[in-house]
Amino acid sequence: MAHRNEEEGSIGTSMHGVTAKEHVFSFSDQGEDAWSSHSVQSDDPTAMFAFPVDSEHKAKVFKPLSFAKPHMRAFHLGWISFFTCFISTFAAAPLVPIIRDNLDLTKTDIGNAGVASVSGAIFSRLAMGAVCDLLGARYGTAFLLMLSAPAVFSMSFVADAGGYLSVRFMIGFCLATFVSCSYWTSVMFTGKIIGLVNGCAGGWGDMGGGVTQLLMPMVFHIIKVAGATPFTAWRIAFFIPGFLQVIMGILVLTLGQDFPDGNLSTLQKKGDVSKDKLTKVFWYALRNYRTYVLFILYGFSMGIEMTINNVISEYFFDRFQLELHTAGMIAASFGMANFFARPIGGFASDVSARFFGMRGRLWTLWILQTSGGLFCVWLGRATSLPIAILAMMLFSFGVQAACGAIFGIVPFVSRRSLGIISGLTGAGGNFGSGLTQLPFFSSSRFHTADGLSLMGITAMIFTLLVAFIHFPQWGSMFLGPTSDNRTSKEEHYYVAEWTEEEKLQGLHEGSLKFAENSRSERGKKAAPDGTSTPLENENPANV
Amino acid sequence: MAIHKIILASFIVYLMIQFSHGATKERLFSDLEKDALDVTAKPSRQGVLDAGIDKLSITWKLRSTAKKQANFTTIKVKLCYAPVSQVDRPWRKTENELFKDKTCPHKIITRAYNKSSQSFKYTLDRDIPTGTYFVRTYAVDAKDHEVAFGQSTSEAKPTKLFSVQAISGRHKSLDIASVCFSVFSVLALLVFFVNEKRKAKLEQSK
Repeated sequence: MAHRNEEEGSIGTSMHGVTAKEHVFSFSDQGEDAWSSHSVQSDDPTAMFAFPVDSEHKAKVFKPLSFAKPHMRAFHLGWISFFTCFISTFAAAPLVPIIRDNLDLTKTDIGNAGVASVSGAIFSRLAMGAVCDLLGARYGTAFLLMLSAPAVFSMSFVADAGGYLSVRFMIGFCLATFVSCSYWTSVMFTGKIIGLVNGCAGGWGDMGGGVTQLLMPMVFHIIKVAGATPFTAWRIAFFIPGFLQVIMGILVLTLGQDFPDGNLSTLQKKGDVSKDKLTKVFWYALRNYRTYVLFILYGFSMGIEMTINNVISEYFFDRFQLELHTAGMIAASFGMANFFARPIGGFASDVSARFFGMRGRLWTLWILQTSGGLFCVWLGRATSLPIAILAMMLFSFGVQAACGAIFGIVPFVSRRSLGIISGLTGAGGNFGSGLTQLPFFSSSRFHTADGLSLMGITAMIFTLLVAFIHFPQWGSMFLGPTSDNRTSKEEHYYVAEWTEEEKLQGLHEGSLKFAENSRSERGKKAAPDGTSTPLENENPANV
Repeated sequence: MAIHKIILASFIVYLMIQFSHGATKERLFSDLEKDALDVTAKPSRQGVLDAGIDKLSITWKLRSTAKKQANFTTIKVKLCYAPVSQVDRPWRKTENELFKDKTCPHKIITRAYNKSSQSFKYTLDRDIPTGTYFVRTYAVDAKDHEVAFGQSTSEAKPTKLFSVQAISGRHKSLDIASVCFSVFSVLALLVFFVNEKRKAKLEQSK
């Protein structure tokens, strides 16, 4: 099957907008294919894709071992870019015992640099959604990768604590690839499987935080054996994540595609994508109270996960008198659990939605995140190594699966402001990490063990906020959907983000299409409607 | 259910093994004989010493007041952090339990015990961090357990300390490589971006 939509310009199937009189969006309508004079392509425009697609040309199946354009390729480029950035951001953590001797750092210096390493991304994640809306996912990703690579290389210049902190701060900005990656998958995959897809992309990307704990010491050792002194070897080691970033940036730009139908610039010039107003998109995100709840919730799942990436190796090293490489291996297994934990969380969210709709997703999130907090408390209390490792693994599963579950919910909070809300939620993760590192791990007020337990308790308390997420069309953890006939329709919720003027211009058509596809969030009650997409093509169990 | 019982049982057995380790008495620093050896450490020059370049002249000799010298087999000479270099750095903390103590991580030399005065000219290693130091010699018995020590400074009020400045680890070639790769990264991005914008404009004008 020819994939005509690969090259720029030959959108092929997207005829909508060719007269330049209609307003269309990136997810162009294919129902009525009017241009029969161009009958080279088959009558079924959705047959152009390697996978079955919905009306927005988003893939309805997820095959992780495939690299087919555009959907699976976008998936792999997205998660590997994010993975590379995680490697760079936490690359310093396993080398701290060498760096602290070279730069004469104190515990306070190290703690502050750890906070700085996650703080930059608060702002870059906030901006990233808008950047993706403006530039497309490819350039969003490539900008982050290739503009933060210089920061990684500049570790070779660092001479003191101030320099170390600044460089870690600047490298940390690239964690916004999380937003560009989940934006990219959200435009490529349909709502029914988005929990699993985002779970895999996010989880496999987060694995970078674990892989780096093994990779950097190994690279450092090889360079030392090749003849460099330790204080030079660690600087050279940083070139590896730098190279990885540049290579990934080039791959993203050459192999990737912004949307199922083509790249953003081409679609826009052809009149296929209307640029939405940034201020409006931002406004609708800020107006939605669920944005803030998700911001906080993600801070206590992803946030504490990132905090652990920074402190856990040192914790095991000190508390249990382990060798540095043993502590590093344990630290690595925390991060690597992401490989299956986060996708399982996303999958659990999708499965619970099939039976219980959105309420299922909310309960899944609450259960996973609360158990994560509980096991974190246990980790702090554990006094023997096997118990501590057991507690840590259960803890890692809980919080990482919770991360996957949250992003099963995010795509439904808004259609117009999806990018911004993705970004805001992601920023919440970094904010939570800074927030937990500062009081619990950067001063001598608490022993690290007590810090861990307190962090777990705080997480459990804030996770109670899940109960406050309520959708009028689907309900919440404890309340059902509204009985009002008008407001209980998905269309009402999503179209409410457009003014009457904009509706007259037809700008809301994308939201209407999305509302139709989102009826699956009613759970088992979706079937009688007849408009939900058929189930036979879907196979989300391909993990 | 049987598998659960087996797992639980093996866990309990493991825990008991762990706890039983704690039953053996840990060797303490306070049990060692103090000032068994006279140690002097003379820097090769005044001021802050440079790691990798400057030297220390270290001498050690058995003191007449020493009691346990019959057990001495080997002498281990180590470079130790002065208290001022341990502030806010828990990885250099002084602990009474010898296996936890991190005051003296840098080995200088190990020699068989000899009653007469010994000396050694030590060139500071290139991976010695910036800090203030003194020298301590441990007298070790045949079982590789410390029995006594002597040090170049007094315990109550640290005197005769010396300062070391570490190497920076930076190299000009590294700096240049770093700049080159950074410039390449930014340029490559710009080239792609400008190129694509131009192509899109051409498409539109067609």
